[in-house]
Amino acid sequence: MRPVRRPDRMLPWAVGLLAGVLALGPALGRGYVLRYDMVFVPEPSLTTVLRGADGFPRAIPSDAVVAALSALVPGDVVQAAALLCVFTVGGAGAARLLSRPVGGAGHAASAAAGVAYVWNPFVAERLLLGQWAMLLGYAGLPWVVGAVVRLGSTGGVAGFAGLLRALIPAAVGGFSSVVLTALTAGPVALFPRARAAGAGGGSPRSPRAGAPEAGEGGEPPETSDPPVADGRSGKSVPSWVAGGPRGRVAVTGLLLLALLLVSLPWLLPSLASGAGTDPAGVAAFAARPDTPFGAVGSLFLLGGVWNSGAVPAGYGEPVTATLRLALCLVALAGWVWWLRRDRPGFGFGLSVAAGAGFGIALLGTTEPGRAVLAWLVGLWPGFGPLRDGQLYVAPLALVQALGFGAAVRWVARGGRPGRFEAGGDTASRGSAGVRGRSAWWLGVTVFAVFLPLMVLPGLVWGAGGRLVPVDYPREWLRARDAVAADDRPGAVLVLPWSAYRGLDWSGEPVVVLDPATKLFDRRTLWNDDLRVGVPDGGTVVVAGEDARAREVARALETDPATGLPDTGDPEDLAGLLGGLGVRYVMVSAPIDNEFLLRAPGVSAVVEGPGMSLFRVNDQHVKADKGRGTGLEVTGGLVTVGAIVWSVARSGSSLVLQRSGFRARPGARKEIPK
Amino acid sequence: MIKVIAACVIGAALAGGFTVVATQLATESTATAEPVNETLYNYGDR
Repeated sequence: MRPVRRPDRMLPWAVGLLAGVLALGPALGRGYVLRYDMVFVPEPSLTTVLRGADGFPRAIPSDAVVAALSALVPGDVVQAAALLCVFTVGGAGAARLLSRPVGGAGHAASAAAGVAYVWNPFVAERLLLGQWAMLLGYAGLPWVVGAVVRLGSTGGVAGFAGLLRALIPAAVGGFSSVVLTALTAGPVALFPRARAAGAGGGSPRSPRAGAPEAGEGGEPPETSDPPVADGRSGKSVPSWVAGGPRGRVAVTGLLLLALLLVSLPWLLPSLASGAGTDPAGVAAFAARPDTPFGAVGSLFLLGGVWNSGAVPAGYGEPVTATLRLALCLVALAGWVWWLRRDRPGFGFGLSVAAGAGFGIALLGTTEPGRAVLAWLVGLWPGFGPLRDGQLYVAPLALVQALGFGAAVRWVARGGRPGRFEAGGDTASRGSAGVRGRSAWWLGVTVFAVFLPLMVLPGLVWGAGGRLVPVDYPREWLRARDAVAADDRPGAVLVLPWSAYRGLDWSGEPVVVLDPATKLFDRRTLWNDDLRVGVPDGGTVVVAGEDARAREVARALETDPATGLPDTGDPEDLAGLLGGLGVRYVMVSAPIDNEFLLRAPGVSAVVEGPGMSLFRVNDQHVKADKGRGTGLEVTGGLVTVGAIVWSVARSGSSLVLQRSGFRARPGARKEIPK
Repeated sequence: MIKVIAACVIGAALAGGFTVVATQLATESTATAEPVNETLYNYGDR
């Protein structure tokens, strides 16, 4: 096997980066992209993020990481980098999980897998829903799968450190990311399979091929635990498989330990919060058909998000949906072909994960399934993440991406079968294969690599202009500064009493979580109930989790139709707000706020088009009920310490590649075969 | 070598052309419209 050259090593990263630039386009410019759950603000307060609310800490640790980075660079740059990371890390991970980027066919297969993994309805819909933190975890899935294979093959401290490094995106992403990672990597750890000798994709004999993170790791070669040869079958059996049930339990246990370590920042406060999850969310967030193929077909196509506003333009049309269906079927055929031919170590486990995830996603599409989910959520709030069923097609997305890459590989070789290069015994054939192909086949192969873009054009260039950066109006920044300049305690109440706004700062209305909920450096009280419109014209309200917000709602008796408080006598308003610990009232929508202007004890601080900030006079305000941040900080320190150790263990990280790396004789990185 | 480069360029150009055409068709179709002029906005509509 010839060593992987530096340009070849960079190819997967370049594929992901190019896909990201094409998808995000204008969103990478200066300004803040605001859409549904994606809210970035200038100079967010780390302390306020850590203090959080009284429900589940959903914004931890993603918002905490953003706040920490925003202290170094502008917040909009942090946002652009985070979004680009989703595509770059995800594309590179899938590309490298498939095969070594050697030879023309290897290049094409890697590029195809990388493109397919980050250019599909799942990524597009979750991006349009603003769930960037979850997508970070999604981007890390192929790295974690590779790391589990590597851990199973080599074991030891080095393998565990590699796994922790691969979990960095999930650690930043928070609970949804970790749940997805556990679903994907768990079966891979539990159901390893002996791979065909010389095959790629998770090859324990070739860490670079099977374990993407291993390529940048620093484990010395002596830590490697070569696979056990199976003389009868000729298969390459990793120690993890050869170890039988004990080996699998050990790898699974280490995976769970690693997941626990990266979950501490949100897990500890969640367990201590005592918050509940409303089972009404099961019906509200169940997968729905967004193609002509029903809910099952839509989920198979990796779409089916609950929110019709998050569907890419043109995706649900019969022609594009049919083309997408054909692509998915080809990808699945490619996956089966690859499993049968090369038997990658993670193949069976990943298939199990994809099947299980698809099953969970389907649960919410049937009445009995919804009843089961509602019962589970009522039983224990920890089952709450199961409400959003489409989330769990993520492992299937990885399967389809790798299968698509395998199919392109087949095309690149002109339909001639052959193993991937990782095993070495076919390396020369792989590189020579394309050289020997006609230019016609090469053109077809390049065309095929871009097929995912062609069948999902709604993601191109800021999702067809739906991801547009905007600047915060001056009045909003003045309001933030006015609150920051006041060192007296007291929370900010956000009105109208509804979480989402229709901001038109870019000229087009965009539904977004009210940025006022994250703008200020103190506790913000806002309605975290989620209203979801249903096809019959009605609305389902999923109760929020912030206990203090519920207290405020009861006291203000807000009108559900207007979101304004029904306080009766304006004379009482200041006392009422002060009694709730409210120092400021941010009215962040163009509504009639006469009731505030007429209230004695309340004065306007900033007024602008579509927003106003009011201050409650000092004598009315009771001291803010501060909440400790001990659990978040303790959990965060343990997690950060573990990640720092894992990076220091190898002197590298998931993302950073050592430039100018030279393979030393016997070095694990570039083991010639 | 020239043949290889030409094949790559043609393949990529064809793919790019198809993508541009599909993008225009997709944006014209506007499968979903953003809600406007509401007093209170839903988190989303199914």
